[in-house]
Amino acid sequence: MNELIPLMVIVPLMAGLLISAFSKFNKATKIFAFVVAICLPIIPLASNYGLHYFGGYEPIMDNVTNVMFHPAITYSFTFLQQIFIGMIGILTFLVVFIYLTKYKEVSGPYLFLLFLGTAAVTAMLLTDDIFHMFVFFEILALAQVGIVAASSIDYSYEMALKYMILGSIGSPIMLLGIGFLLALTGSVNVTDIAYAVHNGLVNITSPVFLLSLGLIFFGWLYASGLPPFHTIKSGIYSKAEPHGAALLQSFTVISMISIVLIMFRIYSVLPIFEVLVVFFSILAMILGVSLALTQTDFRRMIGFLAVGELGFIGLGIGLGTPYAITAGLFQALNEIIITALLFIGFGAIVNATNEVDTRKLGGLLAYHPKVSIMLLIGGLAMAGVPPLSGFQSKLMLVQASLSCGYPEISILAIMVSIATFVVFVKTFYTMFLRPKPNDLEVEGKDVPRAMVFAMGILLIIIVLLGIFPDIVIKGISTFVGGIL
Amino acid sequence: MAYVHITILFTAALLIIIGLYSAIFIDNIIKKIIGISFIEEGVNLFIVALGYAPDGVVPIIMPGMDPAWFAANAAYPLPFGLVLTSIVIGASTLAVMLALVMVLYRRYGTLSTKVMLADTSKQEEYNE
Amino acid sequence: MLEFILMIIMVGSAILALIQKDLLKAAILTGFSAGAIAFLFQLLLAPDVALTQAIVGAVIVPVFIALAVKKTQRSDG
Repeated sequence: MNELIPLMVIVPLMAGLLISAFSKFNKATKIFAFVVAICLPIIPLASNYGLHYFGGYEPIMDNVTNVMFHPAITYSFTFLQQIFIGMIGILTFLVVFIYLTKYKEVSGPYLFLLFLGTAAVTAMLLTDDIFHMFVFFEILALAQVGIVAASSIDYSYEMALKYMILGSIGSPIMLLGIGFLLALTGSVNVTDIAYAVHNGLVNITSPVFLLSLGLIFFGWLYASGLPPFHTIKSGIYSKAEPHGAALLQSFTVISMISIVLIMFRIYSVLPIFEVLVVFFSILAMILGVSLALTQTDFRRMIGFLAVGELGFIGLGIGLGTPYAITAGLFQALNEIIITALLFIGFGAIVNATNEVDTRKLGGLLAYHPKVSIMLLIGGLAMAGVPPLSGFQSKLMLVQASLSCGYPEISILAIMVSIATFVVFVKTFYTMFLRPKPNDLEVEGKDVPRAMVFAMGILLIIIVLLGIFPDIVIKGISTFVGGIL
Repeated sequence: MAYVHITILFTAALLIIIGLYSAIFIDNIIKKIIGISFIEEGVNLFIVALGYAPDGVVPIIMPGMDPAWFAANAAYPLPFGLVLTSIVIGASTLAVMLALVMVLYRRYGTLSTKVMLADTSKQEEYNE
Repeated sequence: MLEFILMIIMVGSAILALIQKDLLKAAILTGFSAGAIAFLFQLLLAPDVALTQAIVGAVIVPVFIALAVKKTQRSDG
């Protein structure tokens, strides 16, 4: 029992509520938000590993069937949760810091949405209860819609409404899948369901079990923005403020891995599950990169590249071996950092030039050398250039698919990496290196210092993870050994 | 009472199908949202029907009840708890969607989805 | 017998709400459908869910929709 585990969810949730209630005291709100944002990465680092049973209801042994069952909502906190929640905490801190320094008058509801989203993904990672995950999945969808609608970019309301309509079709369907699982096993605790499935208490060839897989899988596709939802997902990234988009993509990645890990624990007995995950991941990789190539709005381009990177995570988990899952989770961690860096960096360029069309930009290297160098390194990390962190995880993925006996997939992964490189370098060239168009005015506008600071911190993490990947990989592979 | 139970499951399925049809094919945005609320209600009805025990009792233990008899005859209360949460979530989602519709109506002056939600794609065409 | 009447009311008012030209009537019919579901919940031995559904589904949601209709337009088309 560790008392700090539920605090990871409660602190951002309560802080968000307090901030939105007392947002008229501007100065106090700013200080309070800053303090809470600093606390967010510290709590998971200070906490011990363990399980937390809400209400103190410990698992009970059924005397008749000799099966352990969990009456309470259970939070399990291991190295995987620690590293991801810590990373989300750092990212939230940076985003809140950028927001606080950008505006004199802070908006309480917007900070509330940022903290609400953080609390929701934290709970989704921690929870061992499939319905609890669904509740926070819905809360996360509301927070994402709010963050998009609160931005001052044109057509953000339309995009928010579209995302919401799709979401409110997708989430009842996912709930229906959870209902089928509940009907089969009589429980919503993932450990109990997985025990029942793996020990033959459930007929795994029954159509109801397959149907529940299909329905939950549909909800997962919506949550993670894999095809057919890739257009709407990259759309909401491009309609949010840049720092909001940096947080939104991390929400997507976390909700993707937390749902897919739960599905993996339950459905790994069905061979079709892994085929489905690999199929949609490859589709996402190809569609993401090829659509990114045709974009002229660079925020949209990063959005599609982010969707393509999601495919790599899904690929690692779909291959199903411990090494591949470790690679996929490591890739997820890298993608959170790298994509956040790219969104913040390109957001700085939007700030400075008020222009999102790559064809109208050019020659920015002379005006913003720091930002452009950091963006270049971030883009190279995304494409998988050594010695950055993206290289390590992609190398692991390629090795994993080779050792599983699918050389085609590893060739495809390398090709998609090269295409990512091409897309990024092409955009980088048109924006920073080629001569400046005559009608572009960039004089006198500076990049906010908070953004440069945030990019610097993310860059340090990228380089550190690239040179010393073992600090993360060892812990993740222990976790993966535990769930298999 | 068992055939009633089955009929309720089929009615829930029918409600979900009606909701899906209207959410996908009806042009008016308010009716789309009403259809979405029908999907949610259908799913709720389905999950409550899972917990139902034919000829059972309400899962609230009263003084003087024999615990063994209660355990054998009471309905399964876990789905009911889930549905309570799900109803409230559905209502709040609906409220947010209606608020967005009200803002968008001020800009477009119509409730048609084709007009209201088409502009983002138009903007993309302009970009390309 | 009561269950079948409630189911017919539920599905019937759902379909009627969706083919209605007047959106205010559609909002009220949504309330009818949700109220029938609340009765069904009571018959399915879930009185707590029935109470919540009766308040949220049959009163609050139709009022929300009616407010949105009042702020926008009443006729479908």
